[in-house]
Amino acid sequence: MAARRLGGSSWQQMSLLSRRWCLQAGSAGKREQNRYSSSSTTLEKTVENSEVTREEIVLPRRKTWDKLAVLQALASTVNRDPTAAHYMFQDDPFLMPRNTANSRLLSLSKESGRSAAKYIIKEFPQYFDKTTSEPNIPCLMPENLTPQIEGVSEAALKERIHLRRVKASVDLFDQLLQAGSPVSLETTNSLLDLLCFYGDGESAQEKQNEQKGDLEEPEENTSEQRSPKRQFQKSLNSSGFRWRENNNAERIFKIMPERNAHSYCTMIRGMVKHGAPAKAYDMYTDLLNERHKADVHTFNALIRAVPYLKEKFAERWALVKDFLNHMVQQEVQPNVLTFNAVLKTLRRCGGVGRGVSLSVIQEMTALDIEPSLATYEHLLHIFYRSVELQPSTIIAEILEEVEKRSFTPQDPDDANFFPTAMQACCDLKDIKLAYRLNKSMEKGDNWKFLDMDRLNAYWSKFFSLLCMMEQIDVVLKWYKEMTPSLFYPSTRSMFDLLQALDAANHLEVIPSVWEDIKQLGFSRKQDLLEELLSLMSREEHPEETQLAFAKCAEDIKAAHEQSGRDQAPLEWTGSALGHVVVLFSRAGRTQDAWNMMEHFQQINRIPTDQVMDEFLNCAKQTNCPDEAIKLVKLAASFGLPSTLKLKSRTEQEFELSEKQKNALESIQSDSDSSDSDSDSDRD
Amino acid sequence: MRAAAPAGGAAERDGPLCAGGTMWSRVAAWGGWAGGGGRLAARGCLAARLLTGPPRGRQAAGAVRQERRPRSKIQKLFSTSTVLSTKEDGLTASTDSTTKTASKSQEDSAETPKQKLLNIIGNMKVEVSSKKKFQQLKTHETKKQAMNQLEGLDSKSSTFPKTTEDIQRGKPLNRELVEAASAVASSLPLNKEQTESDLLAQLRRHEETTDKQKKGGTINIRNVISDMTIKRESPAQRGVRISNLISLELEEDGKRIRPERLAPQSSDSRRSLKVGRRLNIFTKTSPDTEKALKTESSPTIWDVEFAKEIAAVTEQPPRNGFEEMIQWTKEGILWEFPIDNEAGMEDDAAFHEHIFLEKHLEDFPKQGPIRHFMELVICGLSKNPYLTVKQKIEHIEWFRKYFEEKEELLQEI
Repeated sequence: MAARRLGGSSWQQMSLLSRRWCLQAGSAGKREQNRYSSSSTTLEKTVENSEVTREEIVLPRRKTWDKLAVLQALASTVNRDPTAAHYMFQDDPFLMPRNTANSRLLSLSKESGRSAAKYIIKEFPQYFDKTTSEPNIPCLMPENLTPQIEGVSEAALKERIHLRRVKASVDLFDQLLQAGSPVSLETTNSLLDLLCFYGDGESAQEKQNEQKGDLEEPEENTSEQRSPKRQFQKSLNSSGFRWRENNNAERIFKIMPERNAHSYCTMIRGMVKHGAPAKAYDMYTDLLNERHKADVHTFNALIRAVPYLKEKFAERWALVKDFLNHMVQQEVQPNVLTFNAVLKTLRRCGGVGRGVSLSVIQEMTALDIEPSLATYEHLLHIFYRSVELQPSTIIAEILEEVEKRSFTPQDPDDANFFPTAMQACCDLKDIKLAYRLNKSMEKGDNWKFLDMDRLNAYWSKFFSLLCMMEQIDVVLKWYKEMTPSLFYPSTRSMFDLLQALDAANHLEVIPSVWEDIKQLGFSRKQDLLEELLSLMSREEHPEETQLAFAKCAEDIKAAHEQSGRDQAPLEWTGSALGHVVVLFSRAGRTQDAWNMMEHFQQINRIPTDQVMDEFLNCAKQTNCPDEAIKLVKLAASFGLPSTLKLKSRTEQEFELSEKQKNALESIQSDSDSSDSDSDSDRD
Repeated sequence: MRAAAPAGGAAERDGPLCAGGTMWSRVAAWGGWAGGGGRLAARGCLAARLLTGPPRGRQAAGAVRQERRPRSKIQKLFSTSTVLSTKEDGLTASTDSTTKTASKSQEDSAETPKQKLLNIIGNMKVEVSSKKKFQQLKTHETKKQAMNQLEGLDSKSSTFPKTTEDIQRGKPLNRELVEAASAVASSLPLNKEQTESDLLAQLRRHEETTDKQKKGGTINIRNVISDMTIKRESPAQRGVRISNLISLELEEDGKRIRPERLAPQSSDSRRSLKVGRRLNIFTKTSPDTEKALKTESSPTIWDVEFAKEIAAVTEQPPRNGFEEMIQWTKEGILWEFPIDNEAGMEDDAAFHEHIFLEKHLEDFPKQGPIRHFMELVICGLSKNPYLTVKQKIEHIEWFRKYFEEKEELLQEI
């Protein structure tokens, strides 16, 4: 009992103490403490009060912390590790992707594994009836998607629409009609919404079949899955199913006893979405005839459809202007999406677009509508994609704007901005702009606009620009920084890098580049190998480099010889063989070089004189007269015109034994007779 | 003359006064080239005066003039409502009769060299296209600078050839004009330099007005050509100039499609996000009406899906373990940080309400067995984590009622 009393009084003391502390500590410490607390706003207020009046101090009964605050603080301390792959792939070292294709495959399979699990849960909810977790985790439990309301009633129809069961809703609607019970306008409209969004009941199911082999509900499509899958579905969405003549949406629309503006609008949007722009336009005329007003989304959709409605650029722009004027007449306020749609249409209006697009931007500023990234993307496209380039200042101004602001996504096209802008920088060959762009991309949350594919596109563009314009050491620094944590270089990027190395006369780096090429899985790309070999064998290098080159050549040889489990061995080309021989010869590896020489015969190619000279030099240096004689024999068997020259060189430059001399003598060259064929055979 | 452009650029960077000197001498040289002997004299004289004239005020005025010129010119080129604004300007300007006659008198000087200009232009057109590459290579900054300067020159010079029709007007009296202006300025008690520069600015505006009104009236190839000739200094800039003319043309009647072949490259190089005219289709509404429009019914499937699509734009896979944990926390999979053993408890009560339950015993006797019993009860309750505060209070309440009911019984004992 005494203890309890003590407890009570100590609590009072504590509150007193904390009150005093509050007074003494002042605002600074307190604010620091509350930085991550969600109730910080109210607290700050009290703190401010304490500063002013020093009397009224309201202690919060309990401080609630934002559940993400600690994690966010921790996450902000982690930087990117340039040597590691993306976190997404840090799972099993064996599975670590080494190139674009693999990373794509891995992220796709991870995603599909997840969807498979979801599918199972959704399909067989009866097996997941135990709620073992406390507190319960709803997202791991199956959702209840079976309609609860039985029977034919409007409530049941509403529920089915809410659960997005397209076919069931249509069936129920028909049953309701047959039963003679009218369906309210509102419910019919939401049914139309559903039908128009998914194109049609049937097609929605077909899509489901394609995707998962599943006859169940078509809901939960797009956007829930993450990047790669989403891309795939998007393309499917746009091309997959078309608006069909007399589909359920049209049928229901026709038999509706009364229609309001919403019915028309949703039909128009559905038609535009599913590739029936002409029908959408007709529907819009109907809407006007019925003296309804369209909403802003409908106008946006119509404006997007303009390029499919008119052929000529001027006509397209005239139609866009018509729509905009209609918006004014119908008292519809445009939003940023409206102007993005206008600009998107202007992208397909050639010179007219360039003339008008800036007026559109002016209109936006006049209306105080902040442009989104998509706005700028369209502008860049209009000014830098279609025609020959010019050093216009538009891109610089756009960058200025982008640097000034932070962006939240407003338009699905927003994501394209950074790749497009980098492409423009690349086309303009303006490295300074590219650096600026990169800086603003890394600012704040802007990086979030780049998903995997766009990230790759963005960085490979940036990288080729760097290769073109920058000093080689800067290029290499970036290269180390970017791969593999940011992107996996494509063959194109590797070509660029090789060219940059060549231009800067830094060919000794090639062996390490070759290592990366192997890692990236390009060791079977014929054109890349050719380029690599020709660069390595073009000039003589110091011995150390030559030895390293010979090692690369050996790798390349191995790549040609080994056949993968399901791959055919790579075919040798004459020039590649020649380069390899030269590389081996220069490194003094006579035996390896000869082995390669023999390949010429196997593939019916003829070594060039330079190759044979190099080989002979090598044989001389390593004092291998046997190989020299073999070479002469080889040349003779091809009937090359250079046989005689080689023969005499061998005789003069080597100390030959009697037997060898005889062997050399015995080589009867047909070179006198055969010259034309061999010439034509060459390469 | 071409060599003068970069030199002028350098000079301008050095400071306005110095730049004024260079510029004026260049203007003078141009005047000579254009063939107006009288003008040359006038200009040269003016330049000389500006350079050597003892009163600093005058020199400063020259500098101001030089500085202000390019800006106003650019404004003119890009002003959103070209024709309207110029007309207004014209009206205001015409009230001042002296300046008007003076400016008119300036206009005829280009009549004589016209044939020459046409000839030169013939060659330069070719140059324009051939210089495209060169133009591309130029860096942005230098170009801009050069442009400003050239514009400064142009605005002056372009007025003359365009108004060749007026032959009856008197000789150009620019120098007199400036002198008169400075005289007026000195006669006034106010800041002399300011007055003078104001007056001169007014004159310039006037020139521009006439210039624009001409342009607005008829755009024929002669105007274009004569305007091009003035761009003598740098062929690269000439393309820009032409394109500006053309874009002006386009702005004036939007339906005409720009002749792309003439100068397709340079057409965009002077465009900017900040200037230009708007579509003038929409009018801005007050936020109230916007709100009124926005009050709508429940979101449709379109809205829901669009929101999802938008959210998906920036939804990227986590970059590190903590971000993954954030994602899990959002999904509700992970125990929330900071670790809180009250997680999942809906009851929103502080710990002291759970533990210090004595305040609920006020209705009980202050001493005696019941008190003792109840103290034991709340002691037990305070240690029970499974009951909510409400349940605990209910529990105590039950005892209170119970003892109240039994009170008579207890009294008997």
